[in-house]
Formats: sequence, structure tokens, C-alpha cells
Amino acid sequence: MAKGVDFESLVTRHYQPLYQFAFSLTRDEADACDLTQQTFCIWAAKGHQLRDETKVKTWLFTTLHREFLGARRKQIRFPQIELDHAAAELPVVPPTSLNQLDTAQVLAVLALLDETYRAPVALFYLQDYSYLEIAEILEVPIGTVKSRLARGLDRLHQLLTRGTATRPPTQPPD
Amino acid sequence: MNRDDAKNILLLYRPGPADATDPQVAAALALTQQDAELARWFGEHCARQEILRAKFQQIPVPAGLKEQIISEQAAREKAAVWQRNIPLRVVAATIVASLILAILWLRPQGGDNTLAIYRNRMVGTALRGYAMDLATNNPAQIRAYLELNRAPADYVLPGPLQNVAVTGCAIESWQDAKVSMICFRTGKPLPPGVQNDLWLFVVDRASVKSAPSAGPPQLAKVNRLVTAVWIQGDKLYLLGTEGDAQTIRRLL
Repeated sequence: MAKGVDFESLVTRHYQPLYQFAFSLTRDEADACDLTQQTFCIWAAKGHQLRDETKVKTWLFTTLHREFLGARRKQIRFPQIELDHAAAELPVVPPTSLNQLDTAQVLAVLALLDETYRAPVALFYLQDYSYLEIAEILEVPIGTVKSRLARGLDRLHQLLTRGTATRPPTQPPD
Repeated sequence: MNRDDAKNILLLYRPGPADATDPQVAAALALTQQDAELARWFGEHCARQEILRAKFQQIPVPAGLKEQIISEQAAREKAAVWQRNIPLRVVAATIVASLILAILWLRPQGGDNTLAIYRNRMVGTALRGYAMDLATNNPAQIRAYLELNRAPADYVLPGPLQNVAVTGCAIESWQDAKVSMICFRTGKPLPPGVQNDLWLFVVDRASVKSAPSAGPPQLAKVNRLVTAVWIQGDKLYLLGTEGDAQTIRRLL
């Protein structure tokens, strides 16, 4: 059981990545704070039921994601999408163009993705989670995670490419 | 595995330890060592992934969020503890209230202090003010009034006390029994407005548990008064006045 986990040290360790995940889902500071707080609140009430202390971080991310979905009151049954092996020609986004974007712009593009893809993509970039861990957090099969990531990253890159191509110059030409 | 297969697999690859252990990823990574075109694509892909990863990890976290989470949880726990203890508090309050009621109920009836309590009550009545039901200097009228109101009227006054002037009487109560309160004025100078300086309380002996047996008067100082208690017949007598033991002995 995870009874021995001290609440304060638990918050210290995990509140930042949890907030970042929440913000990447909601793009709203207040909502992200609420989600993060609610996650720790649920931990305080139910965390003792967790038997494996090594799963605390996964448990927290799973709970936050559940809360996010619950808050949205979406009763969507996500379809499982298998990885499309035919997609050989992938968009090429020059790294230099990407570097000109700031975090807010990247998140704005992320928000354009379907909610199905948003969470796995955010977890993919925010944390060093393996696909199996992302699958555990999102409570979907690993194949679903891979397919969602493939679609989500593909779409994200496409949008970023379009965004960087049409982005107005920050400095007027001489 | 061909180049396109490898690209499909490596699309999900992030530089770092998390994905390198995947067997498919490992095979695709091995292919990049042999395919220059694939290696170039993979290099650019890794650079993009690193940039995007950095962007995500740069999401600013509001200052004070950690403290807010901890303090609000502490407040929640405090409230929860208080709420959890409500039944306990109710039980404790009920027990305390019951004990107080039991003490109040039992106190006048039980124990060796009964006489003391009676004595305190009557002295308190004399000192803290009372209204005489009948103001008269006629002892016969006092007896008649007490008899009429079913208060002890057949009391026997000690010899010296019979020479002290009465001023009136009142009827008090003790444990549902009536107490005759006879007021006297010894003749000492009194402050303005004060009519009496000696009081005799008479009650049925049975009304006061642990009343002394017949014998010489028991003297006790209660508040400002010196008191004497004695039994005669079926009555308990309590005489009180300001002064000392000698003062009251002269009246018995």
C-alpha cells in the first residue's frame, strides 16, 4: 500500500509535470490548477488503496486524465485506430522553423488536435513515459496508444508546418 | 524491415531511454546505421522531437501552486477530522451534560454535605435579600401565618431568643418542604434600610438528610454569619447572625 507516501513530498515531486499535462489538455491556467489540485485531493482520499508505490506517478496522471474527461462530460467511446503502415510519406518540418515557435503556439496547435490524440501526444513529449506507461495512464491498449500517437504526431507536425509556413515575420524586412 | 517501415516506427521515437528498449525501435535504429537517407531523416526527426519536447516542458507552472495544494489539503483534513469527531463530541457533550444533571439532581439529597448545603442555602437567603411575607412584631401573628400556610409553626424558641424582637417572617422551601424563616432584630445599630440581623430557619428534621442527632448546637461560620444548628423534637433549627461564637451562644 502507498500509505507511507508523504503527501507534501508527493506534491513536491509531481505537481509540476501534472500541471503541465493538465495545461496541455485544457490550455487554461485556472482549469489546469483545479485539475492538479483535484488529482492530489483524490490521492489524499484514495491513494492508500494503491498497493504498488512505484505506480504512484502513473496513478496520478491517470486520475488527472480521468478528471479531465469527467469534467468535459464527454461520453465518447474512443475507437481503436491501428497504425497505418501505408503512411510512408511523412511531412518534413524543418527543425529551425519549429525553434521559432514558443510554447503557447505549440500548445495552440496541440489544441487543434482531436481530444483523442491530445493526451497521448502531451504525455509523449512531457514525460519519458514508455508506450506501455502511456497506455496505463490513458487506460487503453498499447496498440491504441501507438496508433493515436502516430496519428496525433502526424497531425501535429502537419499543423506546425502549416503554421510556421504562414507565420508572419516578427521583424519587418529592411 | 525497409526504410518506410523504419520511418513509421521511428516516428514515435523520442531521443532518450524510454523507447530504445522497444525491439522494433531497436531494429529500426540499427537500420539507420546502414541507410544514409534514413539516417538523415532520422537526424532531423530527432531534432524536431527534442524541440517539441523542450517546448512542452517549458510550460510555466504558476507560482504558489504547490503551497496552495498543500495548504488546501491540510484545511480539508482539518475539517474532515472535525466532522469525523462530531459524533464523539456529541456523545461527550451528552455524557458531560448527564453528569452535570445527575450531580445537580443528587447533590441536595445525598452525602454528608446535605446539612452544609441546607445551611449555605439558608444563609445565602438571609444575606442576599428576601422579602418578608409578613412584617410584624407580634410572635403570635407569625405563628398563625406560618400555620395557615402549612409551614412549621410549632417551633420552640430557646429562652434568650424569646427576648429578641421579631420583625416578621417568610416561607422558604427545601426539597419540597417548607422552611419557616423568622426574622429578628437584636437591637444593634443597623445600616439604613436593614431591618433584621438575626434569622431562625425551622424545617422538618426529615427533610434534611444527615441532620445532626439531638445534642448541643453545632456552630459553624458561613459567609458573614455564625450559625448554630440543633434538633428539637421533629424540627431542625438553624439560627444565624453576624458575629462570633459567643454572640450566638448568648442567644441559645
